[in-house]
Amino acid sequence: MDEIKEILKKYPDRRGALLPTLYVAQKAYGWLSQEALEEAAKALNLPPATVKGVATFYAMYKHKPMGRHLIQLCTNVACMIMGAERLVDLLKERYGLEPGGTTEDGRFSLVIMECIGACDRAPAMLVDTDFHADLNENNIFEILEKYE
Amino acid sequence: MIKLTIDGKEIELEEQVTVLEAARRAGIKIPTLCYFEGLKPFGGCRLCLVEVEKLPRLQTACTLMAADGMVVKTETEKIKAARRAILEFLLINHPLDCPVCDKAGECELQDLVARYGPDAGRFTEGKRHHPESFDDPIIVRNMERCVLCTRCIRMCEDLQGAYAITVTGRGSHSFVEPFSGGRYNCEYCGNCLTVCPVGAIMSRLHRHSYRPWFVEKEVETVCGYCGVGCSMVMQMREGKIIRTIPRMGLGLNNGLLCVRGRFGYDYLQSEQRLRSPLIRRDGELHEVSWSEALDYVASRLKEIKEKHGPQAIGAIGSGRCTNEDNYMLQRLMRFTIGTNNIDSSARLYYAPALLMLEGILGQGITANLIPGIKNADGVVVLGGDPTQINPILGLQIRAASRDGAKVITLGRAKGLERFAHIMLPGAPSNVDVVLGMIIQELREGVELKGENKWLQEQLSKVKVTEPIEGIPLDETIGALREMKNAVLVLGPEVLQSDNSDRTLLLVAALVYLLDARVFLLSERPNYQGAMDMGVLPDMLPGGRPLEMFKQKAEEALGREVPADRGLNLFEMIDAASEGRLKALYVMGENPVFNMPDKDRITEALKKLEFLVVQDIFLTETALMADVVLPARAWSERTGTYTNLERRIQFIRSGTDSADGMEDWRILEEISARLGEEKRFAILDEVWEEVVHVSPLHSGLGYDDIKDGKAIWPYKGEPLRGVEETYEIQGLDNIRPIKSGQVLQLDRPLYHSGSISRHSKALRSIEDEAFIVISTKKAEGLGLADGDIVKLITDRGSLQARIKIDSTVDEDNIYISNTFTEANFGSLSGYEAGRLGSLSLDKNPVKLEKV
Repeated sequence: MDEIKEILKKYPDRRGALLPTLYVAQKAYGWLSQEALEEAAKALNLPPATVKGVATFYAMYKHKPMGRHLIQLCTNVACMIMGAERLVDLLKERYGLEPGGTTEDGRFSLVIMECIGACDRAPAMLVDTDFHADLNENNIFEILEKYE
Repeated sequence: MIKLTIDGKEIELEEQVTVLEAARRAGIKIPTLCYFEGLKPFGGCRLCLVEVEKLPRLQTACTLMAADGMVVKTETEKIKAARRAILEFLLINHPLDCPVCDKAGECELQDLVARYGPDAGRFTEGKRHHPESFDDPIIVRNMERCVLCTRCIRMCEDLQGAYAITVTGRGSHSFVEPFSGGRYNCEYCGNCLTVCPVGAIMSRLHRHSYRPWFVEKEVETVCGYCGVGCSMVMQMREGKIIRTIPRMGLGLNNGLLCVRGRFGYDYLQSEQRLRSPLIRRDGELHEVSWSEALDYVASRLKEIKEKHGPQAIGAIGSGRCTNEDNYMLQRLMRFTIGTNNIDSSARLYYAPALLMLEGILGQGITANLIPGIKNADGVVVLGGDPTQINPILGLQIRAASRDGAKVITLGRAKGLERFAHIMLPGAPSNVDVVLGMIIQELREGVELKGENKWLQEQLSKVKVTEPIEGIPLDETIGALREMKNAVLVLGPEVLQSDNSDRTLLLVAALVYLLDARVFLLSERPNYQGAMDMGVLPDMLPGGRPLEMFKQKAEEALGREVPADRGLNLFEMIDAASEGRLKALYVMGENPVFNMPDKDRITEALKKLEFLVVQDIFLTETALMADVVLPARAWSERTGTYTNLERRIQFIRSGTDSADGMEDWRILEEISARLGEEKRFAILDEVWEEVVHVSPLHSGLGYDDIKDGKAIWPYKGEPLRGVEETYEIQGLDNIRPIKSGQVLQLDRPLYHSGSISRHSKALRSIEDEAFIVISTKKAEGLGLADGDIVKLITDRGSLQARIKIDSTVDEDNIYISNTFTEANFGSLSGYEAGRLGSLSLDKNPVKLEKV
């Protein structure tokens, strides 16, 4: 709530503060459940339907429960050429992780991203907010094993 | 002056309008899909594209303002090609399920495709799929058909103000949904149904049983639920209503309806409607013929009058019956039987409040136009939530707030939470303290015009000896001082205590200081009319006090008018229980259920020698009657209603009723059997006598009423000015009352007295009585929405689920009076307060967690 109050100070109206508030709600609830959306609406005194409309428009919000860590792997042209699709297969083999899915232990979720602007160092991915590039069949697991 | 040319036609405009509007005025129709009169332009569908000379691209006529010298073409090959392409895009996903779609025949997309094509699509991939949602009891949602014109959302947000629906998702996966994704849980006004151009949002009430060409008859009428009196169109087939719809430009509601008006019509076809007159024999009610029933009523009334005198007979009129019915009832009582014992449930609040307001401020003071509220720059609301009691009036307050008016509420007003600037605590218990604090400040520095000396004197006496905490007084006074064009909306909740005469005086003072237009909320469609027709123990038709105008009425009618003031509703109940009143004639009212203290009323009515009930259902009161006469319901008869702004409107019959008789006709038949000459063969003749007797209605014909000209002051006649003074106690010593927890009457949006319990549609939305409590109380008891609690008074107890309302004042606990299982009346007692309205002060209540 304090965090939301801080956010509210930066915007001319309550509606403007909605996107950052949704991040706060997402952090608190893990994903934007109905309950999380209702809380966000209450915090900003906006109609819940309005909040839901905005939240569902954007891809950066989680609309179902996700693993502790979110892998966002790019498979656009450059990454694809550099073997990103092989990495998708490997993630499935090693963790049983499907695109759009979550591992059974709730450790990782995988989302296939459109270009994340790292074509020069393809293939590339984001894990939560950390950027990792020049991935290959070996170092991807070295990196991922650091995320518990 | 703007001059432009559209399709070769020269058009002159006095004001700035869009090209679309300019074209419409010139009789040129530009096709639209996302445009809807009254909603903000959106420019999303691109169908209104027009060619404008010197502008490089096609322009949307709904958003382009007409400018001087513009040359516009609305139907060129280029435009047609663009429209065809847009429609082809829409049909990529819109299913071609017109044969099973209820919208077929009145679908705007269907009409547009028929006109512009294309005859075939080039898209070979599959259409998007999204299951039809039947989660809601009333509204079925088919998002495959949605064309995302957003008319429903703009309606819901900008006109209704409910903010219940939104576009979720994006791209071709955008769907219009309520927050829950399933049930709407909204205000259920159904105004989204009006604006949906396709079959995406449809009513379940006539699913697969309605097609526009099924409609055999359409009748314009006025809603019979509340005192606003919205115009609507009944669409019928085989003598039954298929649906009721509003129409743009028709009536004061101009295209809007509320949940009761739109979905609450199915009670008319209830299995429980009365089919035959009934007479009690050996303790049971038996079906008899009309002539037998009418003869019996007349002979018993005659017998009682001869034995006990006319003062032993009384009558209760109805805010649901027409002016003509009510006139005939008071005619029967006053002229045929010879008593002024007549009143209605308007006594519970509306009548005493109106009479005292008029006494202080002048007759007709509440006759202000509802659509005018939105032009106000300030609105003070006290005594109930207008968006629940009179929803369409409530929308006007929301509209005013949206246009920048400051809205101040005092007391419960959940529906205005998003629209009010200041929500003052304290009402209803301590409304006098809050009003007193406001008046003490507000009167300073205001130059009073001396128009109303008595009120000014009273005003100067106001003194709060013990103010209450938590009132943002400076802010409130600041807002009030800025109001140049103020409106004050007064509801029942603050006038149900012993002190209500003082409250009303303070309200009148506030109206005077603000120079505000005042509106009195009314739960029934015709409380005002019943009063104007003389359904009052001390007033003759035309709002004329008995003692002053007895002679005039006698001259006009050539009949004797009983001299003594009659008994009012409360007094009739008391007289019945004391055995002074022997016979009661009840028309269209259910006192056993609708008045508090069920036991007291039941006991009183049991002592009567003769009880007649005229109704459409076998109500709790009818079950006790000696004779029950089936009346015709709202849609089965014609007549006039007078709404809370004193607009007289015509209601028209549409549906069939084989069994019932119009209330006025029943009364005419009984009068004839009591020796009156038969005078009234048709309704018009009743109205002719009303016009003859009542100076209020003088010269007002049905033609004027049907033309919508019956707005106060009728025919422009000025009426009585201020002449009353009142003894108000304790004006100089206003202090908080420590009343503890009090039981109050809830007036929910989805229901209306005991009629709506016969509507399956309304019951599907809300099928139980809720105990409404404040957030603080809920927190104190550790309760959440929907928890079951036990409500205990000295008369008994009941269990029901709770609803938390953040605008309810802490010590007030509300329950509605609709459902048989859990209701206000069986737990509450009452007194007649000093104002003459219902006083609920002595209703201590306890809540227990279950």
